[in-house]
Amino acid sequence: MIETTRYEARQRVRGTLAFAVLLGAFALLIIYLYPTIAESSADIDALIESLPESFREGFGAETYTTIEGFVAAELYQTVWVLLLGLYMAYAGGGLLAGDVESGRLYLVLATPVSRKRVAFEKFLSLGLPIVVLNVSMPLVVFGGTVAIDYPLDPYYLLVVHLLSIPYLLVCSGIGLALSTILDRGDAAQRAGLALVFLLFLLDSVTIGTDVEWLGAVSPTRYLDPTEILLHETIDLVDPLLLSIVAIVIVLGSLGHFQHRDL
Amino acid sequence: MAVIEVEGLTKAYGDTLANEDLDFSIEAGEIFGYLGPNGAGKSTTIRQLMGFQTPTAGTARIFGNDVRNDRALRGAKARIGFLPGEPAFTPSVTGREFLDYQAELKGDERRDELLGLFTPPLDRRIREYSTGNKQMLAIVQAFMHDPDLLVMDEPTSGLDPLKQEAFHDFLRGERDHGTTVFFSSHILGEVRRVCDRVGIIRDGRLITVEIVEELLARGGKQVRLHTETPLTEAALDIDGVVGFASEGREAQFTFTGDYDALFAALADYRIVDIEIDEPPIEEVFMHFYGGDAE
Repeated sequence: MIETTRYEARQRVRGTLAFAVLLGAFALLIIYLYPTIAESSADIDALIESLPESFREGFGAETYTTIEGFVAAELYQTVWVLLLGLYMAYAGGGLLAGDVESGRLYLVLATPVSRKRVAFEKFLSLGLPIVVLNVSMPLVVFGGTVAIDYPLDPYYLLVVHLLSIPYLLVCSGIGLALSTILDRGDAAQRAGLALVFLLFLLDSVTIGTDVEWLGAVSPTRYLDPTEILLHETIDLVDPLLLSIVAIVIVLGSLGHFQHRDL
Repeated sequence: MAVIEVEGLTKAYGDTLANEDLDFSIEAGEIFGYLGPNGAGKSTTIRQLMGFQTPTAGTARIFGNDVRNDRALRGAKARIGFLPGEPAFTPSVTGREFLDYQAELKGDERRDELLGLFTPPLDRRIREYSTGNKQMLAIVQAFMHDPDLLVMDEPTSGLDPLKQEAFHDFLRGERDHGTTVFFSSHILGEVRRVCDRVGIIRDGRLITVEIVEELLARGGKQVRLHTETPLTEAALDIDGVVGFASEGREAQFTFTGDYDALFAALADYRIVDIEIDEPPIEEVFMHFYGGDAE
């Protein structure tokens, strides 16, 4: 049934595991630093307060006096939202354009499967990194905070991960869309990186300005780990909106891919 | 009923016509060669037949299914084996993993038999494959689900001469069992050896479709002679000498006549060296289909 997804996912196993280990190690390093910061006499919150608003908002830095605020800012707003968003867009960009460019896709499309199906199954293979990282990261982060004796509330930690899935799907979808439009594989991947990064910047720099609405086109605006971890508020409207956008992008990409010349 | 029917097939890329109003059909159980120089539009036709590109005008039908109708063509694809020009694979998988994947998509009842004839190193990653090994892997996948029709773009490119001959033998055997074969080539000799009929394409237009014996008569051989005393065109007064050119004691011409007559005419000369070879396809076009082959 999902031959292509399995075939593609197998090729993602090593990269996904490497990324999971790398992210996990980075998370542990950040968490390991926390007790020193929490116990230091320096008034870090005052320092944060003195930063420009767009900077504070962009990196979700609000307070470092609680483990929630610290992990949200240092780990989730930056590494998770930005780095993983970029990774998914890059991976999405590599789904089709490179295979079309090299001619690899011909051998698949010569079999009795539809283009839409091949494209969708390839997109599904991105579920592997999304699932693996959303399982490994909360385990590592929770374990790390327990080890330093500042445990996070595991419930809100899981919520952050659950609600980041629609966001990651949008980033993957952006990559997929570029991969169906552009003719060169590396161009689609680089365009995916550039676009997600630009959207992230647009969201950050417009916050607190008269053109704050401009940043509303960025998916990063609809995911706020600080809000969930620190303030323990769960908003389901934004993730729902992201899910709808992801579905629209994927369906549009599949429709375009079905009819274009290869 | 024809297996492939091409009707007015036209494909334009911007202002360039890659295929212009092509008309031909391929009957069940024949090997049809699609001959033309590089860049003539052979691959463009094949991509349209396989539904990868949509015709600008006209259409083609495979087993009666219009290639513009994705759903109908998909049904027919279970009966088609496809070999693209310069086949490309995911470099990080092994040949076996690739074939397993293809088997899941379309079946592989003849895989083992084919691997007895064509021997890519299955347990190595494809990134380590030579061009010939990639070609063999592609040949195995093209035939492994026992298709009724083969569509192949330059199937022997990259194969060593022995494997080429093995492939030609295999192809004739398949034809004798009723399989229909459509393949493109830019090598006249190959088309002559295995095809029943040949379509010749140049600059996107189909110049002629002939049975292969006619082409044999028209194609001729390229003869290069080194004689002890200079040979003149007047001295070589026999039928079938075309494009005679000489330089000192070296002479060169295309010969379409009877070999006995040629050797009789040469009997008066002491021959130092002789070479009789397939003419380059450009020569064939130049001499027999008019115009200059650039």
